[in-house]
This record gives sequence, C-alpha cells and structure tokens, in this order.
Amino acid sequence: MIRRGAGAGRPFEPAPRPGELDRLRPVEVDVRDDIRRGEEPFARIMAAARTLAAGEALVIRAPFEPVPLYDVLGRRGLGHWTERLAEADWRVWFHPAAAAPPAPRAGDGAAGPMLDVRGLEPPLPMVRVLERLDTLEAGGTLTVLHERRPLFLYPQLEARGFRHETDEPEPGLVRIVIRRPEA
Amino acid sequence: MQPTPGRGASPMLPLSYLVTAAAAFVLAALAVPWLAPELAGHYYQPRILALTHAVTLGWITLTIMGASYQIVPIVLGRPIWSERLARWQLVLTAVGIAGMVGHFFFGEWSGLVWAAGLVTLGVGAHLVNAALSVRGLTQWTFTARLVVLAYVGLGLTTLFGALLGVDKLVRVLPGSLFPNLHAHVHLALLGWVLPMVIGVAARVYPMFLLAREPVGWPGRVQLWGLGLGVPATVLGILGSGALLAAGALAVAAAVGAHLAWVLDMVRGSRRPALDWGLRFVLAGAFALVPATVLGLALAFGTLAGPRVALAYAALALGAWASLTIAGMLLKIVAFLVWYRVYGPRVGREPVPALPDLGWPAGERLAWALLTTGFAALAGALWLGEPAWIRAAGAVVAAGAVMFAATLARVLHHLMPCARRAAAPASRVGAA
Repeated sequence: MIRRGAGAGRPFEPAPRPGELDRLRPVEVDVRDDIRRGEEPFARIMAAARTLAAGEALVIRAPFEPVPLYDVLGRRGLGHWTERLAEADWRVWFHPAAAAPPAPRAGDGAAGPMLDVRGLEPPLPMVRVLERLDTLEAGGTLTVLHERRPLFLYPQLEARGFRHETDEPEPGLVRIVIRRPEA
Repeated sequence: MQPTPGRGASPMLPLSYLVTAAAAFVLAALAVPWLAPELAGHYYQPRILALTHAVTLGWITLTIMGASYQIVPIVLGRPIWSERLARWQLVLTAVGIAGMVGHFFFGEWSGLVWAAGLVTLGVGAHLVNAALSVRGLTQWTFTARLVVLAYVGLGLTTLFGALLGVDKLVRVLPGSLFPNLHAHVHLALLGWVLPMVIGVAARVYPMFLLAREPVGWPGRVQLWGLGLGVPATVLGILGSGALLAAGALAVAAAVGAHLAWVLDMVRGSRRPALDWGLRFVLAGAFALVPATVLGLALAFGTLAGPRVALAYAALALGAWASLTIAGMLLKIVAFLVWYRVYGPRVGREPVPALPDLGWPAGERLAWALLTTGFAALAGALWLGEPAWIRAAGAVVAAGAVMFAATLARVLHHLMPCARRAAAPASRVGAA
C-alpha cells in the first residue's frame, strides 16, 4: 500500500511550512527500515493515524515521497506538509486538515478553516463538507478544495441557508468558500 | 470569484430514465431464450430487429440519456438547460421505442415509421437540451469533445434509422438494404455509444477508482481514431472495402488506447478493493478485446456471415455495452437515491453510507450470471444451435432479473418505511 505513487520522479517543490505545525506534538513513525527489509509498513502507519489525538501530527519518515498516503490519510481528514531531507529521506507531516496551508495562488481573502476533499469517492466530499458545516459558527466561513464543481452540493448549501462562491485558482483545483450568515 | 454556474438535475429525472431502461433490459433479456429459434437463423427477421432495438434504444440509449442528465453537469461543469424538456423527452422517446419494438415484432412497417418519428422527436429534444447545456463551454476537454462527437453520432444514427424506416414504405435511400443496415448499426455502436462511454469513462472511472485522471497520447489516439475512424467505417460499409479496413483499424486503435487508459487507472487505483459496480465496468472493458477482434475480422473479410455477426453483436451490445452500463447504473442509481433521500439529512442526523444501500451478494450473482451468460451467448450464436442459445439466454435473463433486483433494493430507500429502518443503525457518512 505504501508504494511509490504517481508523483515519483517529478521534481519536488517544497511548500512553505504551515505555522500551525509548531503548535502540534509530532508522533513520528519511521518506516525506512521496514521498507529496506521489504516489509509492508502500511498497517503501522494506519494504526498510528487511528490513535492520533487532538493537538498531534503524524510524522512519517520514508525513503521516498509516500504520495499514495496523501489521499489515504486525506480521507481521514489529515492534510500534509512534505520535507525532503536527503535523496532517500522524506519527512511528511500529516495534520488536521483545518490547519492546512491556504490553496496555492489563492486570489482573495478566503479566511477560516479549510477542508480538502480531493481524492474522495462521491458522495464523501459532500458528506465531509456538510458534517463540517454543521459545527460552523454564525458568520464563519469554510473553504473547500475540490477536484470539480460540486453541482450536487450547491442545492444542499442553499437549502441550509449557506452562501457560497466558487472559483478555480488553477486547473484541476476548485475552491468553494462557504459562509454561514450571521444569526 | 465567479458566480456559480449551475447545479445538477433533480435526482428523479435521471432515475426515471434509468428505471425505464432497466425495465427494457429485463424484458429484452427475458426474450432471448424465447427467441432462440429465430436467433439460430439470420439476423434480419422482424423479431430479432425488435429485440435489437429494445436493447439499443430501450436499454442502452435511455440509460445514456438519463445518466447524461446526472453525469454531464458533473464532468462538464454545466447545468442542464431544461429539466422540463428532458421529462417530455422521456415520454416521447419511451413511447416511440415501445412502438418501434412492437411494430418491428409484428412487421408493421407503417406503424413503425410513426413510432420512429416519436423517437426522432425525443432524440431531437435531447440534442437541443444537450447543445444548449454545453453552449458557452470554455474548456474543451477530452470528455467534452467525445460527448459532442457522440451527440453528432446519435443525431446521424437517428436520422439514418428514420430513413431506413421510411425506405420500407417509399424508396428514399440509395444502395442496397444490408450495407445501409450495417452502416446504421455501426453508426449507433461506434458513433454514439462508444465515444460517449469512453469520453465519460475518462472522468468518471478515476472518480470511483480513486486514481489520477488519465493523460497523454492515448487520449489523442482515441479522439482521432474515433473522429476519423467512424466516418471511414460507415462510408466504407456503404461502398469501399479499403476505406472500411482503414476505418476499422482507426477505431481499433482508439479502443486499444481506451483500454490502455483503463489499465493505467486500475493500476493507479487507491481503492483497497473493487466494488461490484467497478467489476461490471472492468469486465465490460475486457469484452472490448474479443469484440474488436471480431469486428476487425468482419471488416477485413476474414470472417463473414450471420453467425459471426450475431456473435459480434452479443459481445458488443451484451458483454461490452451492457456490462459497462450495468456497472455505471449500480454507481449512479445508488448515488441518486442516497442524494435524494439522505443528502438533506447529512450532518444533521445519522445517515447510511452509500455502500449500505447496495446488495453486494445480489450484485455478485448478477455479475457472475451476466458475464458468463453473455460469453456463452456469443459462443452459442456463433454455433447457431437453438438449444445452446436458449440455455445461454436463460443465464442472461437470470442475470438481468438479478441485476434488476439489486437496483430495486437500492430504489426501495425512496420509500419512507425504508428510510426509517436504515438510518438509526448506520454510520455517519462512512464509505
């Protein structure tokens, strides 16, 4: 399961380190030796992810960029930030998605928490968004990152009284800013 | 920020198409064992034509039309222009198809022309709705181009079919009957169904396989292969053997490139396991291999005659198109029902997850019966033995009934009593 993903071989461009990571306690899982021995480390990683507590970040050390984990753990609501420490030494911080950095080239002041639902099978993106909105305070906003315009989500938002705006900051990335009106 | 461009259609719109189409599939499948003696003979017989149109129009075309009202807004990002027109279109098309099948069955050609006229009106309404829906589209993606190509194919197929019907009363078409008939069939299969399926597959399969969207040269091969190959094949059937061979090779290249993409998506899938909807779709894709080999053999004249042609039809319309469409239906119907019933309640109360609506044991049995049945039917049709055709047809019919039962199991969530029973014991949003 933890294998070289479709991103293997592409040039690595580090993103700015999210400041929120400083407030999280790292729980490190080093799978480099497992992989050198030819053992499957996926179960260890998922066990650590399942027991991750509030205020903690799961930090994976691997001999290559573990691209498939981004979506697997993304489905558990974890965003990621990746460091390349050496040629065969990668460190990836998996953290609660709300602490994720803003979308690349975000054009206008989208504020509030962010939810990345890319890579989820329909209708999970809608489920994740509506569940998150249930706890959104009056006047608050939620920024959702999606792979496509969620045409079936919009009627649900409007039926619940949310306002929303959609744009496409870059090809393949759709951003929806959802606002709960003031009470 | 730009304004939101629109929204998906009401779930009941595509569902009404899909349920009608599934009923046509069951009826057509039940007719196969009954028509075994006719199927052991030549394909140009009234009842075989009735069966063929029940499958191609009642099952395949109605499914694609209905699914397009859900999928096209998602994959092209455009809302449906008019849901009201789409509802009227279903009435016109379904009544027209029933009339065509009935009049084919009894060999009543004057009534057939009227029924074909209704189908033409229905298809025309669909094309108008589709054209006005994609009007102003700014991103002409691979999928968008193939969807438009498919709609051109649908329009030409319908026109050609209507002329074939009129031709039975008043001579309007040049050339002889069988080349015209074969051209009509291939315009439908290669010009309408194939581009729509492979165009939508490029966006929808990655969504459900949890794979990256395919890119690269296979896309160009599919576009050019179909864009040039289909006209060449159809014109070749009508008059030129060399053009037919070139067209068949181009279409085969497009099919090969599509299969390369499917394989790539399966390899890159992040799903821990394939569900039965995806297994239907992948079995359908696999069936393209023997169907294409037979098609090439027919185009090059290596094989000929009604036995091979009927086996080719069973592989193309049954094993490929029907299995692919059945798989897509298992995904689409479940989503539409879930969205209609439970979407408004997500985040407010416990709701079932999408897989909880399905019936995996029933889907597995339907998959086994239909894959085995279509393969056996192709073999039996090639042999031309009525007993074997009847046996294989019975397996297909059992599979179709089982498939309909799995859909009914999902659809029963639309009943208020099912909602009450499902919600309390279920997870919230897991999948």
